Amino acid sequence: MTRQQFQALSLGLVAAVVLALPLFVRSATYLHILILLYLYAYLTTSWNLVGGFAGVLPLGHATFVGIGAYTSTILSLQYGVTPWIGMLAGGLLSVFVGVLIGLPTFKMRGAYFALATIAFAEGIRVMVENIDQLGPLKINGPRGLQIPPLNFGLANFMFPGKEPYYYIIVTMLAAVLAFTYFISRSKLGYYLSAGGEEPEAAMALGVNVARCKLIAMAMSSFLTALAGTFWAQFTLYIHPKSVISLDLSFEIAFIALIGGRGSIGGPILGAIVLRPVSDICRIYFGDKLPGLHLIIFGVVLILVMIFLPRGLQEPFSGLYNKVADRLTSTVPRQE
Amino acid sequence: MKILEVKNLVRDFGGLRAVDHLNLDMDEGQILGLIGPNGAGKSTVFNCIAGVYPPTSGEIRFSGVSVHGEKPWTLCRRGLARTFQIVKPFSSKTVLYNVMVGSFARTDRPAEAERRAMDVLRFLKLDHLHDTKAGNLTIAHRKRLEIARALATEPRMLLLDEVMAGLRPTEVDEMVKIIQQLRERGITIFIIEHIMRAIMALSDWIVVIHFGRKISEGVPAQVAADENVIKAYLGDEYVVS
Amino acid sequence: MIYVLEDLINGILMGSIYGLTALGLTLIFGVLKVINFAHGSMLMVGMYAAYWAVALTGVHPYLALVLVIPVMYLFGHAMQDIIIKPIFKAEKQVREPITVIIVTTGVWYILDNLSLLVFGPQYRTLQDNPLRGKMLEFGDIMISVPKLWGFAAAVATALAVYLFLQKTRMGRAIRATSLDREAASLMGINQYRIYNVAFGIGTATAGIAGVALVPFYNVFPSVGVLFDIKGFIIVVLGGLGSIGGALLGGMIVGVIESVGPQVMTATWTEAIVYALFLLVLFVKPSGLFGVKYDW
Repeated sequence: MTRQQFQALSLGLVAAVVLALPLFVRSATYLHILILLYLYAYLTTSWNLVGGFAGVLPLGHATFVGIGAYTSTILSLQYGVTPWIGMLAGGLLSVFVGVLIGLPTFKMRGAYFALATIAFAEGIRVMVENIDQLGPLKINGPRGLQIPPLNFGLANFMFPGKEPYYYIIVTMLAAVLAFTYFISRSKLGYYLSAGGEEPEAAMALGVNVARCKLIAMAMSSFLTALAGTFWAQFTLYIHPKSVISLDLSFEIAFIALIGGRGSIGGPILGAIVLRPVSDICRIYFGDKLPGLHLIIFGVVLILVMIFLPRGLQEPFSGLYNKVADRLTSTVPRQE
Repeated sequence: MKILEVKNLVRDFGGLRAVDHLNLDMDEGQILGLIGPNGAGKSTVFNCIAGVYPPTSGEIRFSGVSVHGEKPWTLCRRGLARTFQIVKPFSSKTVLYNVMVGSFARTDRPAEAERRAMDVLRFLKLDHLHDTKAGNLTIAHRKRLEIARALATEPRMLLLDEVMAGLRPTEVDEMVKIIQQLRERGITIFIIEHIMRAIMALSDWIVVIHFGRKISEGVPAQVAADENVIKAYLGDEYVVS
Repeated sequence: MIYVLEDLINGILMGSIYGLTALGLTLIFGVLKVINFAHGSMLMVGMYAAYWAVALTGVHPYLALVLVIPVMYLFGHAMQDIIIKPIFKAEKQVREPITVIIVTTGVWYILDNLSLLVFGPQYRTLQDNPLRGKMLEFGDIMISVPKLWGFAAAVATALAVYLFLQKTRMGRAIRATSLDREAASLMGINQYRIYNVAFGIGTATAGIAGVALVPFYNVFPSVGVLFDIKGFIIVVLGGLGSIGGALLGGMIVGVIESVGPQVMTATWTEAIVYALFLLVLFVKPSGLFGVKYDW
């Protein structure tokens, strides 16, 4: 077995398991947890495009989740536009906001960008919480928006069971992963990594670092907003504290950082390891120890940053390589 | 036509004048050496030419066009490449990756960028290290990687900022050979160097600056004999006594 | 008209306390070139420390400074020494240690949620303290006494920090390190010790801000976030690294917040602060009073 064959085989195996899982997991609760896991993996992978490859630290990605969720929901509730189109509209609006944040800050020290993302996210949350009606648009302040489960069907992005949502988010995740893989091998990917690591050297080699970061930010904002629409259609209820909260922004960043930013598998690994932690904390300690999962995330984050700066993916990919080496090298020897 | 013309270049930092009405020009294919004591403003001259910061006043023309206020990346596309005095490799990436960043300046296709990067690595005898992380290289190899990256952008002119500092004598000789080969490829070279043996052997023309001002210029033998230069390096009292 | 004057004065007073919270941020940035994202949480810790010290003993709120300043100094000192130093050492070559921002963000989350666990989500107010609800009257103008104290504390702290940096040996070493850490360490300055001290002082100023707030402000686990965000906006307005800029930036935000509601709803006042923040980022990123270069 060659290395390529082994890789194709393991990829196929994972895909088969993921696709077949709903056939065995019949419990709606577990399916729900799985869907959220994929949703977070999708979010952290989208975050990684700018937070990982471009070497900056966005700490307000909930802004884009919120923009996506609110745009498609308002469009569908008030104007009867299908959420699929709303999804696209939210994505484009997010690009505008993302570029607005990035444009002045990418030319400066990274701290400015991190500051601006937090300040912007909080600013938008405060606005949404305090506005009931913005011109013709009903925003409904802190109470949020409810989507009545009436017209099920693919065109309305609304389903009675969980399975369709499962396959939609799996498709979205696979697409964003493929996209990330493609970007990381492209000129843009090289330029992003170079600019993130040594901006001066990159500039001297012909890289317009700020512009590359801006492109990455635009892509990341767009993709993150799509998840916002998914979130809204999946939970059928959005409010500022859920989709625009600082906690969400931080959870996305923390998971990606702990998993290993700048690698393709890192953010997913982070989601696989950490999502169960927050689910367990919320289910079993939610009342007595609120915020426990965030304390755990914080501690793990600090430990990982000090001892494994490239994230958990480093030991894991080391392990994978060892297994792969053994499997791929012993086979020819036996012949 | 002159490939580089610097006219009345001035660069201030706050109250400090780092470069003071400097004039120089270069012909295509020339090797020009820029020397001067520590803090003379050599790197500032490079940084102005390479677009790191704009001149306070004066003009810089590259192959006939004024490049005032142009950014490093556009200058790179015009054919002006540079190395840094303190090497700045992309440490977590492989040698090949580092050089590919450079070759992407002339192609958008990864396969083509890789092919061109490998050509450059072979030329600089770094190809056996293509899979090594740049952060794990020796200082001599790092300096060479710095040149490889710049070369991969296919420059017409190369600014070399102390590429020999910290090298052992045999390594210096190798570097001199590399630079001569670069010139044979038709690349114009502007070099800052402290190792006199090397710069005297390489340069067609040498410019000496002190406190940002040109105090002498000429062919290497002329400059070496110039009293002003000796004074600048050793201090006044040496010559007086 | 008279109300505008009153709002203006109270806005300046409250703004100076915002400025005091931003002071520590700007000081730490000046020296370490990183933003301490846990700064608001430090303020929260300072507020709880002051709250309990006063609630349990019944002394004058400002007497809590005797406890809060040394405790917060040691806290900041230890945090830099234990958590941040290893990262600086590991990333010596990195121009901008972004990992440090990440780690301080982790500290923020740990502290805020830990205090939620320990103290619960309820808002606490220091009911019986001599400053609470006190007003000074000048004709028709009413000025809040606890805010006036806060103003005095802010100005005194800024002045003390400034004098410390200018006049003492340690202060000079800190300034040298902030200008060029390599050169400073060549001159025999131990940069990590300087970082410890700078971080300690920055944290202590957050503690002072906490003491200034406790007489009239609610204490709750996420109170720091509010001041964190304001602090971020202020340091950008005032120019990262500028002590005077921090105070002035704070006052600008304070005045917008207090005068704004006269002419519009409070929400839009907040929006104006964010808009100003964006505007400054676009037009003059070095800040309104900031120095052009990094100090």
